[in-house]
Amino acid sequence: MTAATSYRSTVQAEARDGFGRLLLAEWTKFRTVPRWVLAVGASVALTVLVALLTAAGSASSGTGEGTADPARSGIFDMGHFTYQPLEGDGTVTARVTAQEGGARAKAGLMIRGSAERGTPYAALAVTPGDGVRLQTGYRDGGAGGGPGALPRWLRLTRSGTTVTGYESPDGRAWSRVGSVRLEGLPRSALAGMFVAAPDDVVVERRFGSESISGEPAAATAAFDRVSMVPARPGAAWQDRGTPGGPGGPAEPGAGGSTLSGGTFTLSGYGDIGPNAFADDLTKTILTGVLIGQTAIVAAAVLFVTSEYRRRTLRTTFAASPRRGRVLAAKALVAGLVSLAAGLAASCGAMLLARPMLRSNGVAPPPLWDAAVLRAVLGTAALLGVIAVFAVAVAVIVRRSAPAITIVLLLLLVPQIVATGLPLSAARWLERLTPAAGFAIQQTVARFDRAIGPWAGFGVLCAYTALALAAAAFLLRRRDA
Amino acid sequence: MSALHAEWTKLRTLPSTWWLLAALAGITAAAGAAVTGAVDTSACPDPAACREDTAKLALSGVQIGQVAAVVLGVLAVGGEYATGTIAATLAAVPRRGAVLAAKAAVVAAAVAAAGSAGVLASLAAGRGILPGNGFTAANGHPPLSLLDGATARAAAGTVLYLVLVALLSLGAGTAVREPAAAITAVLALLWIVPVLTRLAGDPRWQERLERLAPMTAGLAVQATRDLDRLPIGPWAGMGVLAGYAAAALAAGWILLAARDA
Repeated sequence: MTAATSYRSTVQAEARDGFGRLLLAEWTKFRTVPRWVLAVGASVALTVLVALLTAAGSASSGTGEGTADPARSGIFDMGHFTYQPLEGDGTVTARVTAQEGGARAKAGLMIRGSAERGTPYAALAVTPGDGVRLQTGYRDGGAGGGPGALPRWLRLTRSGTTVTGYESPDGRAWSRVGSVRLEGLPRSALAGMFVAAPDDVVVERRFGSESISGEPAAATAAFDRVSMVPARPGAAWQDRGTPGGPGGPAEPGAGGSTLSGGTFTLSGYGDIGPNAFADDLTKTILTGVLIGQTAIVAAAVLFVTSEYRRRTLRTTFAASPRRGRVLAAKALVAGLVSLAAGLAASCGAMLLARPMLRSNGVAPPPLWDAAVLRAVLGTAALLGVIAVFAVAVAVIVRRSAPAITIVLLLLLVPQIVATGLPLSAARWLERLTPAAGFAIQQTVARFDRAIGPWAGFGVLCAYTALALAAAAFLLRRRDA
Repeated sequence: MSALHAEWTKLRTLPSTWWLLAALAGITAAAGAAVTGAVDTSACPDPAACREDTAKLALSGVQIGQVAAVVLGVLAVGGEYATGTIAATLAAVPRRGAVLAAKAAVVAAAVAAAGSAGVLASLAAGRGILPGNGFTAANGHPPLSLLDGATARAAAGTVLYLVLVALLSLGAGTAVREPAAAITAVLALLWIVPVLTRLAGDPRWQERLERLAPMTAGLAVQATRDLDRLPIGPWAGMGVLAGYAAAALAAGWILLAARDA
């Protein structure tokens, strides 16, 4: 008989309660329940399926005008522009003396690549409501600065591909409004004056539903003391869209310009900038997440409540008595799994919908566009945060049935009910409930946007943080 | 009969039942009043051309209130599986069909009572709110009244809708046994179609979906004007929902009879 060595538990060494170990334990719990893994897979499949359905349905609603370029159909490029050619660097200066057309009407100076639709441009405009603004591109508005009281001097200077705007109340003391870089601005560009006005939104309610449309609005403005540097003696002013110069035959409804005694009067219809009525194709493709999230929510809630129901939570707490850490580990595991699932779902939806859209004559949204990328990655992050929110609510409620109902009620119902509500009421619902998080999927600043993409995502994150704090508090205070 | 009495006692003595029934009536009335208050004639070409379906508008709260009916229906059986009392129930009443029928009867009665309260409160709220928003008799919107045949049909149909949704949930809860899964599935079934119809570009497909989906077809009964514009007739739509409920109950009954508890 050998001398018996006394037994020493190895648990102590292994059970050092590092957060990594806890995370691993929770990950193992999640991974080894086939139902939850299936639910996560189902959520990916549902999202992609709805995207394909949407893409397939886009054919019947297509306009039949061949491949529609989203970069072009999503923009407005109207209004009126009176210009001279500008070779290389130069400056255009003018004074806006009068303006009509409502609080958002624009009157000012513009430098643009050509008279073609959708070319790069920089526009410095006075708006009665928003003051002086430097605007570029067809995606969103521009930098603001300065009051909009008339008369107001404006100056737009081109140097290379950079265009800088200045404004002044008297033509002597100039202050810089901002500057923009215009990629692809050709050496020989056009510079001149423009007027534009955003569409009037017309809401019409009939037969219990609302139809919303835009009506082009008119804008008129007067300019004097117009000068170009370098000056081109003898160069004539031209009107965009009409052959002649100022005073030429203006088509009715197309706007035009007149010149008398050094004062130009421009009038035009429509706006230049993003089309607030454009279809948000990316958001439509990613709408499947609305349905896919149900499975994620169910899995995340059950990840917590099944421990309450089967009493395994006591074992969990016995093994790791610091309850806040258990909650953190659970939230992290559920969030990361959902994030990965969301990434697979949104990327899969976008990629698989592409060939289908193309065969239906619709150009798919460009994947490397910043807004599209934000929508795709944001959708993945959205699912991650939703899972964390579901975990927190599950800890608060402790039972699966009410927890799932509450989470889905908060996330899904505002969006469904909003379709039947008047616009003003629907907007508040989409701003104040956790459903605001779905705003991250927007790629177009539409007229019915309730909340900006990041702000909306922030609302959801705030709800989640609040729920997590409440869950941590209750978890510590209550018996398991 | 004793099975019925036993189920009634079980349902009656659970505090959650009363909370859910109160929520059913309260949410239906409150959401309906909120929606009604948010609609006025200002967005119409002129107040007389609105052609607003005021009865449907006042009863729209049921779209949210139905959640309580779903939870109640699912928990009637799912709750027994979750706590394990189903074994005792089936030992006391070995005829499983009788157990399910008794549960269906008490759930239907409870939901019908709470639903009637919610619907009547919604109509009363609508009657008070609508004239203030421009929906007056002079503009072709007589005050809501149960004496009006179409309004009475919409009100009775809405109560029936809630009962059928609860029975559908009861069947799903019996078939699936897991309350969480059953609630998720029923809510997804009810709400998925309004989401999908938004996506389907083709109006023919939209109509087809609305004819076949339990919620849109069932709620067709709320329409009181322009009936020819509906994708499906009021009572035919109710028939579609009843078909869903019958299928769910049949599936629940077969599975209950075939499986060990």
